[in-house]
Amino acid sequence: MVIEAREIVSMIKDSMEQRGLPLPVSREAIYEWSRGLGLPSSGDYLLYTGGLYQLLPYIESLVIQLEKVGKSSVGGFALKLAKKVMKVVDVSKLVSKPDKEAKKYSEQVLQSIARLLSAASISFYYDPELDGYSGALLYDMGLLKSFRRHAERVYEAFRSRGVRRIVTIDPHTTHMLRSVYPKVLSGYELEVRSYLELLAENLDKLRFKTSSAGPVVIHDPCLYARFENVIEEPRKLLSAAGYDVKEPRRSRRLTYCCGGPVESLAPSLSKRIAMNRVEELMEYASTIVTLCPICYANLHRVAPRNVRVADISVLLSERLE
Amino acid sequence: MSVKRITYKEALEEICKGLGDEEFQRGLRTGVRNAEGKFLKILDAHPELRELASMVEDAKKKVISNLEHYIDMAMESLKKVHAKPYFAHTAEEAREIVAKIIGRGKTIVFSKSMVAEEIQLQHYLEELGNEVWETDTGEFLIRLAGSKPMHTTAPAIHLSRQKAIELLRKKLGIKLPDNAMHEEIVGAIRKFLREKFAKADIGISGGNALAADTGSIILVENEGNIRLVTGYPPVHIAVISVEKILPTFPVALAAAIVQAAWAGLYPPTYLNVISGPSSTSDIERKRVYGAHGPQEVHVVLVDNGRVEAAKHPVLSGQLKCIKCGRCQWECPVWQQTANLWGGPVYGGPMGMGWTAITLGLRDAAELSMLCLGCGRCDEVCPVHVPLSSIIHWLKQQYTGEGE
Ligand code: SF4
Repeated sequence: MVIEAREIVSMIKDSMEQRGLPLPVSREAIYEWSRGLGLPSSGDYLLYTGGLYQLLPYIESLVIQLEKVGKSSVGGFALKLAKKVMKVVDVSKLVSKPDKEAKKYSEQVLQSIARLLSAASISFYYDPELDGYSGALLYDMGLLKSFRRHAERVYEAFRSRGVRRIVTIDPHTTHMLRSVYPKVLSGYELEVRSYLELLAENLDKLRFKTSSAGPVVIHDPCLYARFENVIEEPRKLLSAAGYDVKEPRRSRRLTYCCGGPVESLAPSLSKRIAMNRVEELMEYASTIVTLCPICYANLHRVAPRNVRVADISVLLSERLE
Repeated sequence: MSVKRITYKEALEEICKGLGDEEFQRGLRTGVRNAEGKFLKILDAHPELRELASMVEDAKKKVISNLEHYIDMAMESLKKVHAKPYFAHTAEEAREIVAKIIGRGKTIVFSKSMVAEEIQLQHYLEELGNEVWETDTGEFLIRLAGSKPMHTTAPAIHLSRQKAIELLRKKLGIKLPDNAMHEEIVGAIRKFLREKFAKADIGISGGNALAADTGSIILVENEGNIRLVTGYPPVHIAVISVEKILPTFPVALAAAIVQAAWAGLYPPTYLNVISGPSSTSDIERKRVYGAHGPQEVHVVLVDNGRVEAAKHPVLSGQLKCIKCGRCQWECPVWQQTANLWGGPVYGGPMGMGWTAITLGLRDAAELSMLCLGCGRCDEVCPVHVPLSSIIHWLKQQYTGEGE
């Protein structure tokens, strides 16, 4: 049983129009991680998470639902189920059941990033009201008009608050804000840096443990490697933190996709691509470093138990003095 | 006769089936393992090829920006070397031109050609009562299996040795043992086709490049079947799509060399140049056409959407393509699906643009939704076809949200 692309596309579009997020999730889910952390409310760089890490636990439970659809052979029933999964009526169900493990992990990542930025003495601030989603999925699916409308709203919010500099934490949001927004918005002027770039520039301020931390294999995300030229930074950081960074056969500009972008349209295909990648990476080390929440979710889902898939922020912050 | 269209749903269903088909996956995995990254080793050893590729890209751009002019020039040059040029606006016109040259009841040998596939030439000629034999080993097997080519240069990538044996036995009654090895299978095909070559009235080929200034057709290959197809029968018909035209002979040669290198076949075993029919003037200096090679060379230039595409701001980029198939080998989706992700003829990253140009926007737009947008294809294309941008534009046509 396959679902028409049109169904999925319109579900995502509806959700975006209703709440500015690709999934029917409450806005609170985007900023609740910051509660009680005492993050600065002013500084040079606005920390804009783009919400992808926060959406991870919801994507996890969604993919489980979609896989059920894929396995089902009764057309009418499967389609109803697919619609139900995304329909706003059932938001409560979905939202009340984000994948627990993934939720814990995404919080750990976000907190690690904040910790690293502070440790490198980077002047940043967080504003829960300004945080949100870049619209990446709209762009990727060819919903250009919807994307532009969304981007306009996001940018308008930045402008009205006088935001000039932004630090991003994932490749999708970095790519949208740095390379795609300028193409679709007129008069767009924002300095956009990935936190990995800022950390690498301020490497001398980071105090890492001096002991060796063992081998890790790096999985470059497509957007960082091929579109944003964030290639050396993660390597520099990991090495400084004591890791022995292994290069897989397909790395840097020729890195391999995790399969994530088609996970909603063709879950079985997406999974197969992820498996193909994990098999390759495993040959180099039993810890796989990801730099993107989508990569993390896809590779983690198919990795065997004895393989650790870990976000770079977690690996780095583990090594802070 | 219309070309069978493939919808998104049909393609995705086939893909899901393909993912579960052990034999298909095994064949594909082995093929991909051998081919992925192969061009990098070739380029390491022969760095001059990169320069050649950029020369070809520049020349391609020049032709695309003035395609009609170069078509005229190529037609004139073909006449000068005593070949007979034709211009076919549509697939149907192309088929009819070829059919008219051939007539009925003939034996025809083919060497694999994507454009012949595109215009469904083989089927058409068979329907007219001709005996048609494909001579490229992979394509020969594909035809017996009744399936479609799964890769631009390796059409039978998904077929196992066992399957090949089965096909030869069942469809042609060729005696082969269960455990026949690769050599034995290839030998059997060779023996079978020798006979066809000998009695063929007509040989039909494609063309990797056509030089506008000299009317020379360039064909690159490893099997040696193209030499026979184009050299043995008394009549040679080349069916060539118009974007294969290059301004000059040297750059046309370069295009074929680059195609072979990026396809992972370097050096190619054979590089054929055909400038008109064979001839001799050894008897009293009188020029006679039809010496040991063909007496007639017909060249059918096929438009089928290309001239229009050349003026299109996005699709014109696809016309730079030299069909090396590199983007397919390196694409994470294609590596799992081969041309099941594609239209009836063209699949994978390059297949989206080509389907849009030669079949229709709607079909290509649907299929393009399965692209990851990962950009690996852009990275490896020798002539920088903006593959992921073309596909992204097609997605916008699908959602109706293009600007
Ligand atoms: S698009 Fe580029 S890589 Fe793909 S077949 Fe054409 S020339 Fe080769």
